[in-house]
Amino acid sequence: MTDTSAPLYEVRNISKSYGSVIALDNASLAVRAGEVVGLVGDNGAGKSTLVKALAGAHRPDSGQIFLDGIERHWASPHEALQAGVETLYQESSLAPHLSVSANVFLGREIVSPGLLGKLGFLAQKKMDAEAHADLERVGIAVPASNRPVSQLSGGQRQAVAIGRTVSWARKVIILDEPTNHLGARQSKEVLQVIRAAKAKGLGVIFISHTLPHILEVTDRIVVLRLGKIVKDAPTSDFDVDTLLGTITGLLV
Amino acid sequence: MALTESPELAPGANPRPPASPESHSTPLSERLTGFLTNQQTILLLVLIGMVVVFSILNPIFFSLDVFGNVLLDWGPVALIAVAETFVIISGGIDLSVGATLGFSGVIAAYAMQAMTAAGMGDSITILCGTLVAAATGMFVGFVNSLLINRLHLVPFIATLATLGAAGGMSIVLTGGAPVGDGPQSAIDLSVPWLGPLSWPLIVVIVVVIIAGLFLHKARFGRYTYAIGSNPFAALAAGINVKRHLTKIYVLSGLLSGLAGMFLYIRLGSGAPTSGVGDELDAIAAVVIGGVALAGGIGRMSGTVLGSLILATVTSGLIIIGVEPNWKQVVVAILIAAAVSLQALRANGKRS
Ligand SMILES: Nc1ncnc2c1ncn2[C@@H]1O[C@H](COP(=O)(O)OP(=O)(O)OP(=O)(O)O)[C@@H](O)[C@H]1O
Ligand SMILES: [Mg+2]
Repeated sequence: MTDTSAPLYEVRNISKSYGSVIALDNASLAVRAGEVVGLVGDNGAGKSTLVKALAGAHRPDSGQIFLDGIERHWASPHEALQAGVETLYQESSLAPHLSVSANVFLGREIVSPGLLGKLGFLAQKKMDAEAHADLERVGIAVPASNRPVSQLSGGQRQAVAIGRTVSWARKVIILDEPTNHLGARQSKEVLQVIRAAKAKGLGVIFISHTLPHILEVTDRIVVLRLGKIVKDAPTSDFDVDTLLGTITGLLV
Repeated sequence: MALTESPELAPGANPRPPASPESHSTPLSERLTGFLTNQQTILLLVLIGMVVVFSILNPIFFSLDVFGNVLLDWGPVALIAVAETFVIISGGIDLSVGATLGFSGVIAAYAMQAMTAAGMGDSITILCGTLVAAATGMFVGFVNSLLINRLHLVPFIATLATLGAAGGMSIVLTGGAPVGDGPQSAIDLSVPWLGPLSWPLIVVIVVVIIAGLFLHKARFGRYTYAIGSNPFAALAAGINVKRHLTKIYVLSGLLSGLAGMFLYIRLGSGAPTSGVGDELDAIAAVVIGGVALAGGIGRMSGTVLGSLILATVTSGLIIIGVEPNWKQVVVAILIAAAVSLQALRANGKRS
């Protein structure tokens, strides 16, 4: 693989506690351009906590974050998004009362030309059409752009969220259990989306409890247990049994 | 192959994705039934029905004079109802709008009293008074936003605190008496010249239209809905949620201040007790208009109709000779009807 190149996105010795619960304990992880890293671990292992630190949604208690070798201190998700790091969170990050296109463009609206645009008036038709094209290009379920998200099925919502993440990503994509709510065929589509992102040279961090998916699409696997990284190795070192053993701690 | 919308995944949903968003237009018949069950349409019919009933029971009701008076009652409530629309759609509530209205009116009255005593002209004095009222309101709104963003008070508590503070200060400053001796011609501004409309009402109508455009057509409104719909989604999308909430509460204060100036012009003085309890009228108007207290839902047209219905009921009951306190009962029934209608529609959509 591209193991010898410098990491694109990296965290070093991240720790984070919620009161007395230590969610992350000196965790380090790196992803290179064009690499897919699988992040696995039991429920409560700390995966989503790590994701939120990477996305700028949480400030870790300690540790460092580097993008392109430059240290970053994300004060908000806005800064990480600006830098090209897109995140699909495990919990819903769609606004249910807004339309599909309003969600795809949330925080990055296209405004009308001229003075109206300066006042923040929206080019709604343009966003509807572009959101539609974006979702189609990503190859995910394409609900009508003007439908409110609250009227979509769970799978369609997830598809919109993935489509948005993938469409905007410029450097890094973090996907926290993207196949949630998706059927078997749709989950395969997500794996295809991950491969396409890799081919474009993006760094991908993929979290899933479906170990065959992890084994199928990743280059490297990082295993978290009780907030600690217990294994970081090329995917070829694992099969389902050894991976499961590493996650549960029955096999080290 | 793309993931397609499957009927199993989405019962009742359009099983075939449209080729383009433009092709997703609803047929005319569907639009017509949609129009008739639309909450705004029902509100409009209720409003027209009320005017008809009041006019039959007392023909005096159907006159330009009475409409003018209904609109003068409506003006300040409309301004704070617009404020409440933004706040409630964002998932908050502003209990301080009424107290801020009174407080801004008092502070502006002192400013105008001083300018008049100094021999300044009426026009410049009224203009400055308006700016002082607006600034005072914005200050209270800014305090609200600090309490919410920095001290992490929930909006209910934060604005309850400023309700008490602004209301109390109005009384302390004035000793409870109205502050007059301002520009003589202020009160003349309330004289209608365009049908039932006077200058302050024209300003209110312009403000309502601009506010509606910003709520429904601009980024400002989009962020307001997003925050009320799912605050985490707004944050995750890179929206500066705290900054946007600050803008919303400052806007709410600004509109309350303008409402205070409206009442000053109508009464010719700044009364510390004006605005007391008006927050409940504003919230009632907004809820009748279809804004959900949970946030994320509502339209400016609903707020306009809700506040018009409220003003019509208030005057209408007096004119047909009903004991005025029945108003509370009628408003209660309207609120219950509006909210249960929303719940029915929400259930209908889901099933
Ligand atoms: N907001 C929070 N407040 C308090 N504790 C939290 C919070 N979020 C997570 N935790 C705790 O931190 C630990 C790690 O949680 P995290 O969500 O990162 O796990 P995860 O690996 O993503 O699990 P899952 O596979 O179930 O999604 C858990 O013990 C959890 O209870
Ligand atoms: Mg998780």
